[in-house]
Amino acid sequence: MSEILKICGLNKNFGGVRAIDSFHLQLEEGKIHGLIGPNGAGKTTIFNTVTGIYQPDSGDILFRDKKITNSKPFQIAQMGIGRTFQNIRLFSNLSVLQNVLIASNMDITYNMMQSFLRLPKYKREEEQLCEKAMNLLEIVGLQDLADARANSLPYGHQRKLEIARAVALNPALLLLDEPAAGMNGEESVELVGFIKEIKTRFHLTVLMIEHHMDVVAGLCDHVTVLNFGKTIAEGTLDDVKCNKLVVEAYLGEEK
Amino acid sequence: MFLQQLVNGISVGGIYALIATGYALIYSLLGFSNWAHGEVAMFGAYMALTLVTRTNSPFLGALVFGILGAGLLSIFNEKVAYKRIRDHGSPTMFLMIAAMGISTTYQNGAMLAFGPKFQMFPSMFETSTIQLGSISIGILDVISLLTTIVALVVLDLLINKSKMGLGIRTVASNSYTASLMGINIDRYFALVFLLAGMLAGSAGVLLGLKYSVYPTMGNVSLKAFIASVLGGLGSVRGAIVGALIIGILETMVSGYLSSGLRDLVTFGLLIVILLVKPSGLMGVTIEDKA
Amino acid sequence: MSGYLQGIIILVGINLIAVLGVSILTGFTKLFSFGNAGFMSIGAYTCAILTTRYNVPFIVAIIAGAAFAGLVGYGLGSLTLGLQGDYFLITTLGFGECVRVLFEYITPVTGGAKGFSGIPHYTNIWIVLISVILAFIFAWTLTHSKYGRNLTAIREQEVAAQAVGVDTAKNKLMAFVVSAVYAGWAGALYANSLTFLEPKIFNLAKSSELTITTVIGGLGSLTGSFLGTCVVTLLPEIFRSLSSYRMLLYGIAVVVIIIVRPSGLYGYKEFSITRIGKWFKKLGKKAGDAKRRGDVAE
Repeated sequence: MSEILKICGLNKNFGGVRAIDSFHLQLEEGKIHGLIGPNGAGKTTIFNTVTGIYQPDSGDILFRDKKITNSKPFQIAQMGIGRTFQNIRLFSNLSVLQNVLIASNMDITYNMMQSFLRLPKYKREEEQLCEKAMNLLEIVGLQDLADARANSLPYGHQRKLEIARAVALNPALLLLDEPAAGMNGEESVELVGFIKEIKTRFHLTVLMIEHHMDVVAGLCDHVTVLNFGKTIAEGTLDDVKCNKLVVEAYLGEEK
Repeated sequence: MFLQQLVNGISVGGIYALIATGYALIYSLLGFSNWAHGEVAMFGAYMALTLVTRTNSPFLGALVFGILGAGLLSIFNEKVAYKRIRDHGSPTMFLMIAAMGISTTYQNGAMLAFGPKFQMFPSMFETSTIQLGSISIGILDVISLLTTIVALVVLDLLINKSKMGLGIRTVASNSYTASLMGINIDRYFALVFLLAGMLAGSAGVLLGLKYSVYPTMGNVSLKAFIASVLGGLGSVRGAIVGALIIGILETMVSGYLSSGLRDLVTFGLLIVILLVKPSGLMGVTIEDKA
Repeated sequence: MSGYLQGIIILVGINLIAVLGVSILTGFTKLFSFGNAGFMSIGAYTCAILTTRYNVPFIVAIIAGAAFAGLVGYGLGSLTLGLQGDYFLITTLGFGECVRVLFEYITPVTGGAKGFSGIPHYTNIWIVLISVILAFIFAWTLTHSKYGRNLTAIREQEVAAQAVGVDTAKNKLMAFVVSAVYAGWAGALYANSLTFLEPKIFNLAKSSELTITTVIGGLGSLTGSFLGTCVVTLLPEIFRSLSSYRMLLYGIAVVVIIIVRPSGLYGYKEFSITRIGKWFKKLGKKAGDAKRRGDVAE
């Protein structure tokens, strides 16, 4: 198995606060890895640094052995890292279909002139794109809502649409930021099945932030536990569950 | 000569500052540039002018009348337009478009109501000058400078020392959290519009006295807007510094180069400063948290 | 066709081209510009100088005017599009004013504040119509392609747009250059229609008018921009007595639209026959329902 993502000695400060403190991660292709830890542990900051929204103060991020630390967010996305956001960020006034189409724009090779003249190439590629997008929507179960406005969808559907949009990018690595946030038990069970299906179908590697332990247990091969930017435990969920530091981080120190 | 120009520059810059601080105040709370602010100043000037021509009121009365009129118009804008737009949950961009519409409305409304002509205040002061060493300052400029200083000092104390100012700063730092804490944020929005409007009103009266009163005089606020951008959007002290820089720069360019080049230099400087410091001199860089 | 009618069509057409540029920039990309009158001015003076002093064929001069405006837009945009929101806006405003002041200052080239006269009257209705059709089709195909999708993505959610691989900087620059080219194009036609130019024609008020027209027509809709331009240009022609109230009414209209129809603005609805058909059907159904309810009540 080859490593798809490797993070070495990553540091990020915000005005003196260590948001990430020498973070390490090696993620093998085809795995699902969980980042867990209390609020403010620096999980989303790691996502934002991997996707290029933040520049790290030091440390390296390698995606398929290529350094991506100085790349712009759109370049990192084009290389094959898709993501969702903790507070959903859809193109809210656009249709469900449009949301997915935008993420597939990279498949398109026609240029402005060919589009202006509406040459066969334009038509063919647009048709293929639409077909691909509709297939994807069918997989996530939103095909009947393709023309609905994204912000008119119920919350659970919006989460699914965001995942579909990230997948439309043809990523190799998918970063999910709290996909089960705000879902009840039943919905999270469904989500676990959904993520598994997506992962197999599109040959994805997944790095996810999640608070619902049943979701983490159902999906993650390995987890990293963070607290105040520091890694306090690594391993399978069962391994870290009994770790003293982890228990303290979640429940507070024993008196 | 240089000192003389410097004093003139400070005098002009002071008036810009009265308007620029209004931009900064409103931006710090609502995150948009209130393009209708110059028209508020214009309205204040017309109010004062009307009072003076009708009743022969002295300067102070006219000033107070103009300030009150402008303050009320500013609140009126907030209540009738901006508040409703916010309540719809529309993006802040819509506030700016509305402000543009309001500005156009008032400018053309004034054109119809008062006519397009330039109107002068009847002379209220002796046209004598005060001699300070090699510098001579007109009485009008002295009064203008004093009014500006008093207004800005009061504003600074109000914001940084009073309980009301603490409330304004709280709402500015995060209006949503403030509303969750039980603060009536709409009251503070109205208050800030009143404050900004009153400052603009005083600027309008002073400008009217110094030059003349006309429907498009609000366009002067463009300079004030530039000043507030230069100082950093939302920073009141930044706006004052920016306004003084622009005032001094303008008089210097007019004095030593050519008045035709005045605006070119101002805008050129603005673009250069923004390229070097993208959030102005005293602005805060806001990172979009994903 | 009467000369008067032709004159009106030419005026609407020229304004429409400039407005379409603003529509792409503001309606589709959520970038504001208060400098598009400056680009118009550049296009107008370029075309005027080329046709008047160098006898360059009109078509070539139009292309040169539009291209030069686009080039300046490219330079300005590359420098300033990285700035956030209002900071970017103020640089466009500064640019527009700089162009005006500069053109007033360089008298040997532009004739200065006194104006530039004796421009040959080349602009006729056919050139304007062809220009409008070309401009509209280009704008339409641009917005209905991956380019347009990228622009709307930037408008809706810039961070998410980057996260799905949209090069936001490049796309914003493209929208800015297109709007500059359109403004330059409109300016070029305007110069040889008016036969007289002065820098203050292209002032801040002109830039605002372009944005106001776009808003009245509806953001994110090219057909809306077309209707908006017709309304804004024609109303004062039809109601001559209203012409002094013109800008007052537009100002009020903008405020009312923003207050009353906040979501309607971003309807992204293009005007189409099928949609109108549907609308009438719905209306008919509603009337029918009301009638039935009435029957029951009886």
